[in-house]
Amino acid sequence: MSIIEFKNVSKYYNETPVIQNFSMKIDAGEKIVILGQSGCGKTTVLRLLAGFISPDSGEIIIDNQIVAAEGKIIKEPEERNLGMVFQDLALWPHLSVKGNLEFGLKAKGVQKSKREKYIPEMLKLMQMEKSVHAKPAELSGGQQQRVALARALILHPEILIMDEPLSSLDQDLNVRLRKEILKLQKKIGFALLYVTHDREEAFDIGSRIIVMKDGKIERIGSSEKIKKYFG
Amino acid sequence: MNKKVFLIFVVICFVVIGILPILFMLAKSVNVDGHFSLFFYKNFMNSRREWTLIGNSFTLSFLTALFTTIIGLPLGILFAKTDLPLKKLFTILFTIPLLIPPYITAISWFDLLGREGLLSKIINPAMAEITSKWLFGLPGCVLILFSTFLPIVILLTITFLKTINPRLEEAGKLVSGWPGVLKGITIPLIMPGLLLASILVFLLTLGELGVPTFLRYDVFPVESFTQFSAFYNFGAATAAAVPLVIITLIVLVIERIFLRDKTYQLHPAVGGDKSSTINLGVYRKWFLIIVVLLCFCSIILPFLVLLFHSFSAGVYKEALSRAGDSLFRSVAYAAIGASALAVLGFFLGYLIHSKTFRFWRAIDSLTIFLFALSGTIIGIGLINLWNRPATNFIYASPVIIIFGYLAQYTALTSRITVSTLAQIPSSMEEAAQVSGAKWIRRITLITAPMAKRGLIAGWLVGYIFCLRDMGVTMLVYPPGHDTFPVRIFTLMANGSTELIAALCVIMIIATLLPLGIGGILFKLRGFIK
Repeated sequence: MSIIEFKNVSKYYNETPVIQNFSMKIDAGEKIVILGQSGCGKTTVLRLLAGFISPDSGEIIIDNQIVAAEGKIIKEPEERNLGMVFQDLALWPHLSVKGNLEFGLKAKGVQKSKREKYIPEMLKLMQMEKSVHAKPAELSGGQQQRVALARALILHPEILIMDEPLSSLDQDLNVRLRKEILKLQKKIGFALLYVTHDREEAFDIGSRIIVMKDGKIERIGSSEKIKKYFG
Repeated sequence: MNKKVFLIFVVICFVVIGILPILFMLAKSVNVDGHFSLFFYKNFMNSRREWTLIGNSFTLSFLTALFTTIIGLPLGILFAKTDLPLKKLFTILFTIPLLIPPYITAISWFDLLGREGLLSKIINPAMAEITSKWLFGLPGCVLILFSTFLPIVILLTITFLKTINPRLEEAGKLVSGWPGVLKGITIPLIMPGLLLASILVFLLTLGELGVPTFLRYDVFPVESFTQFSAFYNFGAATAAAVPLVIITLIVLVIERIFLRDKTYQLHPAVGGDKSSTINLGVYRKWFLIIVVLLCFCSIILPFLVLLFHSFSAGVYKEALSRAGDSLFRSVAYAAIGASALAVLGFFLGYLIHSKTFRFWRAIDSLTIFLFALSGTIIGIGLINLWNRPATNFIYASPVIIIFGYLAQYTALTSRITVSTLAQIPSSMEEAAQVSGAKWIRRITLITAPMAKRGLIAGWLVGYIFCLRDMGVTMLVYPPGHDTFPVRIFTLMANGSTELIAALCVIMIIATLLPLGIGGILFKLRGFIK
């Protein structure tokens, strides 16, 4: 059963279409990758889903509820229960690792006793227990990625959105973190919507791949099928 | 609370405090005995004196803007891009006159060049007679306002130089020496910023009251002030104020059309702080001598004279006994004003930065308009609006002074906020949003802490401008609530020159002390490299 649905969504910036008649569905626990070159509209899809921008036409549905439609945001991002890892990670520099993880829990009204339980658990899962009091600037690139991932997952979202999170890392670290993400996805079971311009990364992560070009879906299919398409 | 609702509330506060008084004033200027009339304007148009005043105001503003630009640009380049020794110290020294009320600089020059000034004692009275004549009038006003507003051009030149991508200059360096690069690449690139600085100086000079009053040079704000305070003629005072409002508006519209998109947000260029330094080579010592001489003559000497003049037994004690209460009040009002400015400026800056409403540009322009407007006009507007029985609790209390500060200086803190927020990625707030945080929580726990450097800098700038304010305060202060600059100005009529000099020294210390402490704290905390 699909937990996310885009129905004929279009978005324009200064009358230039960024995405046009975009439709897709994501099922619970599914791993979808949006693959495309810069400027093809893939980040716009994520921002629409997160609720940072509204679609000019079409509908976005989460858990059978219309959350945005025809220029209006019906459900604000903070009410959508999504996890997101940004391209620049967006770790709050003035807060420690614990502070970064605790922020969302506090915002959702999670009791202190539970917060004290969840945070060490999540940090253990990410192998980051020792860095609990460190500030983001004191961490390596890989550690920062893990904290961003931990921050997104600690709220137990149904879907995790990742906007080219590994693009700034070297190849070795990129491959290692990809495996860790897949391991976590298998363990926790969240649906994953992953955006990248890297084909290898896309084939590695996605069970289904959406290829985008000029704001439209060019092709959609299983990882193997798309791999064949690209030859 | 909903973001838009809260920001609308902030906008309403700003409009009520800053814009409504001006609109009321304009409405009152066309109302004679309850009827619409252009009587005051007809009087104004037919008066030769008023046209002379317009001419005087324009001449003073034009010359001040011209000289500050001609001298400020090379100084800004010297301090930002060359290997001139002690350039940071020079930047600080040249900034001092901007931080204190301009009429204090005028007093210090008067103590040096006046009939009974230091020059008459050291050289001869005949010489002082000539310099005194020269000081009282256009040249003296230009000199003092030049040294007051020179830092605006220097600081904006330095700031805009940091926004230039160093690669652009390096590409030029491959085919030309530094003079060619500066002329062909660097200066054209910062030209919008330089013009903005010149326009600001022009408008601030146009609205200046203290210096022309002290040096008896008739300009428009003095006319407004005189009509209001000496004749208590509201209609004539407002009619005299309107041309200034119109001129300010016209100049700002021109700035908006031609410069705004080029100067709006200042993003430091990547590697802008690592741009290559101009090696002055054999000219280094000559440039140093010129800068030292300029600094000594225009800044250090007048203040040394002030210090020298105030050195007499018991004068500081007398100064504190006669004006200590107003000093305390000034510091308190400035601190409250700066805090209110930091908050209002932060939210307006946030609104402008995030373009929350379609009218974000209008808000930005209005804050700049009020900043450029003469304090006298804002003062008259505030009195017009709040001087009525129902609002006497505001008019008859220091709240009216704080309103004056908010009306005039919000542009400073909102602009600082815009520049600060421009350096914080939008993903920071978005990440908080997807974490489930409502707007107030995001603002208080994520955005504001990340912008704290800008907030503190805004507070300090706000404090200094509130402390040095005289234009608004002079008109609106309730009885028993005069501030230190106003008290000094009042005491000038009958106080001894030693007493006035001592008061001026105290004023300078009160201004520079928190700035020095703030600077040290900023440095210790790593905010300043």
